[in-house]
Amino acid sequence: MNELAELVDDLGRRAFDARVGHRFPDSFDEALWRNLEDTGLARLTSSQDAGPAEAAIVLSGLARHAAAVPIAETDLLAAWLAGKVGLPLPDSGPLTVAIADAGERDGRITGIAREVPWPSGTVVLAGRTADALHVALVDGAQISDGHNLAGEPRGSFTFDLAVGDSRTVDVGVADELTRRGAWARCNQIVGALDAACDLTVAHTGERVQFGRPLNKFQAVQHSLAAMAGEIERARAATALAIAAATDYGFDHPATDYAVTAAKVTVGRAVGPVTTIAHQLHGAIGVTIEHRLWLATMRARSWVDEFGTTTQHARRLGRMALAADDPWDVVVSYPAPH
Amino acid sequence: MSWPVSEFDALCANDAELAQLRTSIREFLAADRAEFGWQPAVDCWLANWNPDFSGRLANAGFVGLTVPTEYGGHGLGYLHRYVVTEELLANGAPVAAHWIADRQVAPALLSYGTEEQRRRLLPRIAEGRLYSAIGMSEHGAGSDLAAAQARATRADDGWVLNGSKVWTSGAHVAHQIVVLARTSPLDPQHRHAGFSQFIVQTSAPGITISPIVLMNGEHHFNEVIFSDVFIPDTDVLGQIGDGWHQVTAELGFERSGPERILSTATLIFSVIRALGDVDDGVAADVGDLVARMISLRQLSISVARTLADGQDAANRAALVKDLGTRFEQDSVELVADLLDYVEDAEPLRALLAAGRVHSPLFTLRGGTNEVLRGVVAKGMGAR
Repeated sequence: MNELAELVDDLGRRAFDARVGHRFPDSFDEALWRNLEDTGLARLTSSQDAGPAEAAIVLSGLARHAAAVPIAETDLLAAWLAGKVGLPLPDSGPLTVAIADAGERDGRITGIAREVPWPSGTVVLAGRTADALHVALVDGAQISDGHNLAGEPRGSFTFDLAVGDSRTVDVGVADELTRRGAWARCNQIVGALDAACDLTVAHTGERVQFGRPLNKFQAVQHSLAAMAGEIERARAATALAIAAATDYGFDHPATDYAVTAAKVTVGRAVGPVTTIAHQLHGAIGVTIEHRLWLATMRARSWVDEFGTTTQHARRLGRMALAADDPWDVVVSYPAPH
Repeated sequence: MSWPVSEFDALCANDAELAQLRTSIREFLAADRAEFGWQPAVDCWLANWNPDFSGRLANAGFVGLTVPTEYGGHGLGYLHRYVVTEELLANGAPVAAHWIADRQVAPALLSYGTEEQRRRLLPRIAEGRLYSAIGMSEHGAGSDLAAAQARATRADDGWVLNGSKVWTSGAHVAHQIVVLARTSPLDPQHRHAGFSQFIVQTSAPGITISPIVLMNGEHHFNEVIFSDVFIPDTDVLGQIGDGWHQVTAELGFERSGPERILSTATLIFSVIRALGDVDDGVAADVGDLVARMISLRQLSISVARTLADGQDAANRAALVKDLGTRFEQDSVELVADLLDYVEDAEPLRALLAAGRVHSPLFTLRGGTNEVLRGVVAKGMGAR
């Protein structure tokens, strides 16, 4: 595991250093992607014999270096979904998944996919109707050119395809797809928050005002501690989600519970951590020359994907309200009734 | 060593043996409450002193869990104790009488006590019949504990203690107080040197214990004045001059335990149980509250597992206490807001009131959060 973490850290660091100054809007990092494919990390869980624990290391490790590659989208989402429905995919190259609400009428599936991450490679459409999930390769769609706050490509397109051209599966697959996405974002956000914290610790140790480094001021120390607290709590909740996925897979009530709790915890950490990071950096941290935004804006963008914090909080609240004893839901996942 | 079947269950402190233990303490608590009628309470580990309960709990095998069997304990691991502790708190059980002895004095005796002290005291602790207080803070020494001035001077076969302690919880009903006192004068260059710990009987001549009453009239704290109190050599705890190290070495356990998260659990769960059909907004508020509890508990258990493996986790332990006690404090007002949606809120008002009176204590006791944040920042390389 340590070797894997070191490899990922090394790849991420080199990729970051190679792109300094060329980051907004961001573009796909082909050199890094080649390295990830050469080392087998690009499709770790879908093609290699690796599990969620390894995937978590790759996700958080690359996020720490603001890697510009659709690693979660390729491996955990698109390759998994295509495998699930028997849809053939290219053996290499980046993949992504477009999750959208879809309508079915006159034998056609239609809708609009929005905010599709990294839409320039092969796109697997996951169109969700009331009672089914329709999966198909997207071919020839006019995908809009856009990006999120962090400059990562995000695109939208309309789709209209014959039902017969898609593979239809149970709508539960859509739930697992979203859960996988939320799980991946939790790991990535923890990586981005770690980066923001590292930068803040370094900055407050170097920047001198009133004749001393900022970190000699008690008010600054307390903010640093508050930041560390939120991150460690997010990490602990995410660790439970990693353990759940490792032990039971993504299609299990334990994983549903742990991912829901983690998405809320991580989601609530993003505000305070990024706010403190910017506050302690002073105005330099909001400029494009400084690398802080690569961490903070990623965290702030990712937090809304695959279900907002409030949506997950509502789900967790309903679990606690339905339980015989809410304490059971604090201890572990609620036993099936 | 046997590997846990499920890492997930292990992280939830709910794998095979722990899950069994959890079931048995829950069964004990339900039956005991049904028979003896105690009411779940907020901050029960400070406020609810019930020697009969402590005795019954010990009879059932739930006190002295980590004390070796040769001293009358159960020889179980720290995580076993963790599970029992959190179930007691989540159920608001009246644990105050034996709490400090079981939680702090027993581990200190096992680390620093003499064989004679262990044989004399540990069996009574494991029987839930020894009640202890801890004498640390003084009028001029709160957060700055090294400013403590109580002093013990050498006498024939022992020491003579003079000075005072404040905020000494339960001293008026305890058998003994473990006192931190200076045994050498203050050296400004080495402020933490020259402290020692003593086990002082509350019945010893020269001790005056006076109440310090909480703002709602409750009496838990005391001022304890020692004038020429003789302490035999057999009641020195650990090494003379090593007191500071002894009281800080075990802080990781104390700072990261369930009592830093669950002091208001009874109030929180009572209100959630009382909520009927609620709208999405209220459900999200409940979810946010529960997510904070889950994540804090996960962090706390992760620290417990690290400490149980004999590794250092001082920083994260300080984080648990800072985050956990602030959560306890916040939870009171979050729950007060939820009461609006409870049809018959009246029975819950007393718990809420107790929460409001006790909540300022959560972020003070055992080291203020301001001090803890300094500890954390230092660990991050600041200072």
